[in-house]
Amino acid sequence: MNESSPIQTRNRFVQFGSSPAGRAFLALLLMLLVGTLFNADGAFFKIGTHRDALRQASVYGILACGSTLVIITAGIDLAVGSVLALVAVCCSMMAIHWGWSGWLVVPVCLLVGCASGGLAGVVTARLRVQPFIATLALMVLARGAAKYASGGMKVSTAVKNASGGYDYVDVPALFRLVDTRILGGNLSVVTVIFLICLALAWLALSKHSWGRHLYAIGGNEEAARLSGVPVVWAKTLAYVASGMLSAVAGICQAAQEQQGDPEAGVGYELMAIAMVVIGGTSLMGGRGGMGLTLLGVLTIGYLDKILSINAVPEAGRLMLTGIIIVTAVLTQQRKRT
Amino acid sequence: MNSQPKPNCLLAWMSLVLTALLWGGCSDSSKTAGDAAKSDAAPRAYTIGMSQCNLGEPWRVQMNEDIKNAAAKHSNLKVIFKDAQNDTLKQRAHVEEFVSSKVDLLIISPKEAQPLTEPVARAMEAGIPVIVLDRRLLGDKYTCFIGADNKKIGKAAGEWIVKTLGGQGNIVELMGLQTSTPGQDRHSGFLEGIAGSNLKIIFSADMKWLEPDARKEMESALSRFDKIDLVYAHNDPGAHGAYLAAKAAGRTGIKFVGIDALPQEGVAYVSQGILDATFQYPTGGAEAIETALKVLHGETVPKEIVLGTRLFDKANVAQGGQELN
Repeated sequence: MNESSPIQTRNRFVQFGSSPAGRAFLALLLMLLVGTLFNADGAFFKIGTHRDALRQASVYGILACGSTLVIITAGIDLAVGSVLALVAVCCSMMAIHWGWSGWLVVPVCLLVGCASGGLAGVVTARLRVQPFIATLALMVLARGAAKYASGGMKVSTAVKNASGGYDYVDVPALFRLVDTRILGGNLSVVTVIFLICLALAWLALSKHSWGRHLYAIGGNEEAARLSGVPVVWAKTLAYVASGMLSAVAGICQAAQEQQGDPEAGVGYELMAIAMVVIGGTSLMGGRGGMGLTLLGVLTIGYLDKILSINAVPEAGRLMLTGIIIVTAVLTQQRKRT
Repeated sequence: MNSQPKPNCLLAWMSLVLTALLWGGCSDSSKTAGDAAKSDAAPRAYTIGMSQCNLGEPWRVQMNEDIKNAAAKHSNLKVIFKDAQNDTLKQRAHVEEFVSSKVDLLIISPKEAQPLTEPVARAMEAGIPVIVLDRRLLGDKYTCFIGADNKKIGKAAGEWIVKTLGGQGNIVELMGLQTSTPGQDRHSGFLEGIAGSNLKIIFSADMKWLEPDARKEMESALSRFDKIDLVYAHNDPGAHGAYLAAKAAGRTGIKFVGIDALPQEGVAYVSQGILDATFQYPTGGAEAIETALKVLHGETVPKEIVLGTRLFDKANVAQGGQELN
């Protein structure tokens, strides 16, 4: 750096600007600039606003990590929102109604997520059903299971007793732990959980041979198979990982709502996919990464927050979000022409 | 793109069919409430068909529950429940099924007015009395309509808030979906209720009836305004979400008011000290059975019954709330 001439620095800047990461980064900077312009009487400059934006984006972000793994194999996972609801319901029943310890609740929840993901994975990779259809079926199935397990009602701290009345139980320690803040109240624990998930997914994707296999499958599945990549195994595992991350998101959702809502997570799968795509990961597979997804999560998370603090009416929000997603994706695609 | 080999087309189709089955199947979950007249000495047995438009909402689950409990008190009533899963045509089919199976009376909580008006009229022509619950139909070809008035409830909430805050303060309004009639009425009724006072709505947002959205919007309101006296949410989950946001931010001295007052939601929140008040949006389930019995016994019933609301606050929640009219 210290030896480089101004021209070299400029070239490096242009290079960065035309890479996917550079473009996603610019989009995020632009979003922050919009925030400073429309700062809602200075609310945008408060630490709390940023902490809340990150908290709000965290559940989506955890789902987006799983979706990134699947999308890199040229697949798609539509079931994440429903699996989130199923796990939120199971988690609340175990933690609130049955009073199980968090040490037992979390592993069981993760297992439920893995099993759901595994089902989609086997149907997709082994039975070779298109991922769109396989995960669409799981989306409906998991939503039904969530409604069945909860009896159609939210699983809350008001527990029905034998005489038809309600007993009120305390919010379980697990929920309190997840829905709290650290660093002097400046960082939500769910955001930390999101960052841990992101880091693990990044390690798996860019440092482990499994990650390289996912890229190879997404680039050209037949070529990957011929060059000895365990296609079925690697692909199934991608869906299992997505299911497990959905379970993590489900636990976070239940903890933040203090209840298990069988209707939770409707439409979250599309939000997660939008975050992945805005980051610059290609829906065609083989290109992208976790760092890009982080940028996508932050961009949409901040967009959401800026619209919210300015109390923009719902109709305007939807239109603006649509326009911004298209714009962001268009800038991402320019480099490929 | 990778082309799928031929045999997999079949699998893909099979899973499509499976999806369709998952969506369409298992809709006629019929339960019986109250065993139909076992002994000969019992009064004449009646079968009532209940067509519910969507059991995805806890409030409607409660409505069915209320009907079931009310009917269980009469051993000669048997209620068959059908859930249309938010599908108008499915509900129409359910009405037609009830007519052809010749139930003695039909209770319907319709998904929407236009497409269900005619099927209900045909039931009436076939001699089956119809009680319409919660949402209206067009015209007057039904026996009795039972419903609550969201505008009145919004107004009652507004008046309670004026009284509680002494006529002044800063209010955050978290609105239900503003393209839905209940959301609009709970807003306009509230404005009527607070008219003439010095209450200021400093922040209002559409949280679409969803708790996570309410929490998000409340966080924004908290970061913008240092002085908030009360949050009026159009449903109890919304008020609960706002409470969680304020609690996490360490803000105290804010009151929370919600609507709906389901036993396991709003009323529970008030008993736990989370909400300061909630206003019941009655399901009308018990009243429907009461009216049904009158109709079946040949008594005349009013064409329209507008249900009142109940206020649950800290003082009266243990006694089961207070009737408002």
